Amino acid sequence: MPKLSRRQVMASSAAFSFLSTLPHIALAGGHGDTLRVAIAGETGDLDLLQNVSTLSSYTVVFDGLIHYGPGGVLEPGLATAWTIAEDGKSIAFDLREGVTFSDGAPFDAETAKWNLERWMGVGDFSWIGIADAYESIETSGPNQITVRLSRPVPAALLELTIVRPVRFLSPNAVDADGKQASPVGTGPWIVESYSSSETVLTRNDNYWGERPSFSRIELKVVPDELARANALRAGELDVIGGDWVAPLSPRRAKALEGEGMTIVAEPGTATTILGYSPKSPMMQNRGVREAVFLGIDRAAIAQVLFEGFADPSVDIFPTTVPTAGVRHAVPARDVAAAQAALSAAGWSGGGSGWTKGGDALEIDFLVSEESFPGSRRIAEMIQAMLTEVGFKVDISSVDNATMHERRPNFEYDLTFFATYGAPYDPHGSLGASFVSTVDTGPDGKIYISDELDPVVLAALEASGDAQEAAMQGVYDWLYDAVAACPLLVTQRIWAVHPRVQGFSLPATDYDIPYKGLTLG
Amino acid sequence: MRFARLPWLVLTPALIFVFVGVFAPLLMTHDPAVQDYTAILQGPSTAHWLGTDYLGRDLWSRIVGGARTSLVAMAFVLVAALVIGVVIGSVAGYVGGLVETVLISLIDIALALPSLVIALALMGVFSGENFDWLSDYWKMVLALTLAWWANYARMSRAVVVAELQQPYIEAARVMGASHLWIFTRHILPHVLGLVVVYASADAGALVLAIATLSFLGLGVAPPTPEWGQMLVDGMSYIEEYPNLVIIPGLALTAVVVSFNLLGEAFALQKVPRALRGRLLGRKRAERKAEDQARVSVEGQA
Repeated sequence: MPKLSRRQVMASSAAFSFLSTLPHIALAGGHGDTLRVAIAGETGDLDLLQNVSTLSSYTVVFDGLIHYGPGGVLEPGLATAWTIAEDGKSIAFDLREGVTFSDGAPFDAETAKWNLERWMGVGDFSWIGIADAYESIETSGPNQITVRLSRPVPAALLELTIVRPVRFLSPNAVDADGKQASPVGTGPWIVESYSSSETVLTRNDNYWGERPSFSRIELKVVPDELARANALRAGELDVIGGDWVAPLSPRRAKALEGEGMTIVAEPGTATTILGYSPKSPMMQNRGVREAVFLGIDRAAIAQVLFEGFADPSVDIFPTTVPTAGVRHAVPARDVAAAQAALSAAGWSGGGSGWTKGGDALEIDFLVSEESFPGSRRIAEMIQAMLTEVGFKVDISSVDNATMHERRPNFEYDLTFFATYGAPYDPHGSLGASFVSTVDTGPDGKIYISDELDPVVLAALEASGDAQEAAMQGVYDWLYDAVAACPLLVTQRIWAVHPRVQGFSLPATDYDIPYKGLTLG
Repeated sequence: MRFARLPWLVLTPALIFVFVGVFAPLLMTHDPAVQDYTAILQGPSTAHWLGTDYLGRDLWSRIVGGARTSLVAMAFVLVAALVIGVVIGSVAGYVGGLVETVLISLIDIALALPSLVIALALMGVFSGENFDWLSDYWKMVLALTLAWWANYARMSRAVVVAELQQPYIEAARVMGASHLWIFTRHILPHVLGLVVVYASADAGALVLAIATLSFLGLGVAPPTPEWGQMLVDGMSYIEEYPNLVIIPGLALTAVVVSFNLLGEAFALQKVPRALRGRLLGRKRAERKAEDQARVSVEGQA
């Protein structure tokens, strides 16, 4: 019987290892007409009325009447023109002619009316202003509809750009009970198949808009961020990134940039905000809020933890959001000023601790890594900075369920919030996070007060020329009262394989990028 | 290397862990909580023996501080779980009847789920505002204690039931010994003898459980250094700075493996000599003397 030497065994193992990589090389080279995009979770069945499927996948299959363009510019979608009545109680839409769903069904006024009536006036969707104020829809021709409302909804057009449920489904794609049976839209892509590991989309050759240059998209489910980065390196994926698609951390983006991948980063649309509990006696002290506001080095957080892929901010919304208001300069961290604020508020002490009326300056910082990945590290930095001011900061690290229980009840002194970002803001975050009467469930509120409510409600109801001034009124109120502590705006980061050309960021992080791309 | 020496070898990491934990304040070269943004992610140097982490904190001091964090928590949990387990198990075994049935059911329920799952559930309960008076550290200790006692209770009850059937217990009763006397003088030493040995093997599992809770963001709160927390925080940097993960990972692995092998060594009676105590040494010497005497008698015969 022939004997194998140790050297032969090792050589065979090495050869086998090398050969095992060949299929990957072959696979990497065999996707010329297919764009492979990472998604962090499976797409699901893309039911437009169920809050189950991942938001990012709807946008390639379904169109809305209006699309959200770069900088919040509203672009025609299935509606080519729209007119808001002077009293703001009706909106007339001219629908795009000659559009068909991917199953061949025509898109016309009747189809549009049937689609809109599936969610307008329905209690589950009352969080959308236009759905809550809905009265009726009239068709005035094969391609004209008018939506009548019980009250003006200034954000109505912006609301029509959101992802779900406002998009349009083929009337043939529902079962006898009216439940969505398959995802059939008018969008540029058609769902060929979906599973827990990938969703395959094929080009809709009858699409009314610009035709993609490639015929297929594979949305690969890769939950782990490092695995996504490695797959991009190996040529098994073409595009990764997007907060709502497959998040890419700043650290990983830096690493990929040094390895020949293209990194595309632009200012984001969501602000990370430190919220002061309006029910905490400690945080009701304005001096304490000012001390926190001044004691944090936002630039250091942006540089150390976000590698520069974040922009320090003290404003509620970034300029990438419409009517974001006047900019305030980001103050440099000032420990002395923070301590002076505490002294002025009646606290006595110094860097080693403060007391007032026998109470120590000790705050509970509620953090959930599960709810907000990376928040514990930001909290650690803030803890160290505030400790230098003289605060005693206790970080309570909790799970998602506890966070969702404690945050709406304001059972904290400090905690993290983030604004919704495009296409929901500014109306979405203002209504949900600063109005005491709106139920936002587990998300909680950034700040509420009886004085603030009418100011925000007035801004939400303002339209036309008055809107900008009303919005500014809210921002000024929040800034003057030091009611919230904006920290930074994280940038939108995507990494692209060199074989993909012409990549530009989609309008929102709910969109999957495909427009203008060519594949090498 | 002789196999007989293995127990001492495997004990080394555990002993180092205990030593480092006890003398941590003397061994730390920096304050493990102090951040220095001008020195982030540095490699090993004379100033920072193991380098620095993503916030510029000294890695060596954090590893040493992490050992102390785990050691103290582990010691508290082991002692508390052992006391609770021995008391409940002994009462169940000694009293018997309905009390035993109730306590056995309680033990069975506690054993039906993995300890870590129970600890996670308890951490969820303790994270409500009603428990704000407890720091995260003590919440973790309490959760682990309540998750860990059942095994000791089961073992204690088994030993008590077995010992109660021994003739010498009956003899003690006949001689008028009180229950307290019988339990403390005759039964408790047997119970502790077994349970303490198992507890030593459990130490590794506990260190791992503490790290797991912190890894999941539910254990020790910052800025207290903890190995599980260091591991999860280092994961984002694993590609460029793998030492942020490897160093706490190795420390954790060495300690857990060491305690586990110690437990196995106890179970297989490959106990290092010094650990056997004078009593065993004396008995061995007596047996040797007897053997020699026997050989000499047989030789004379």
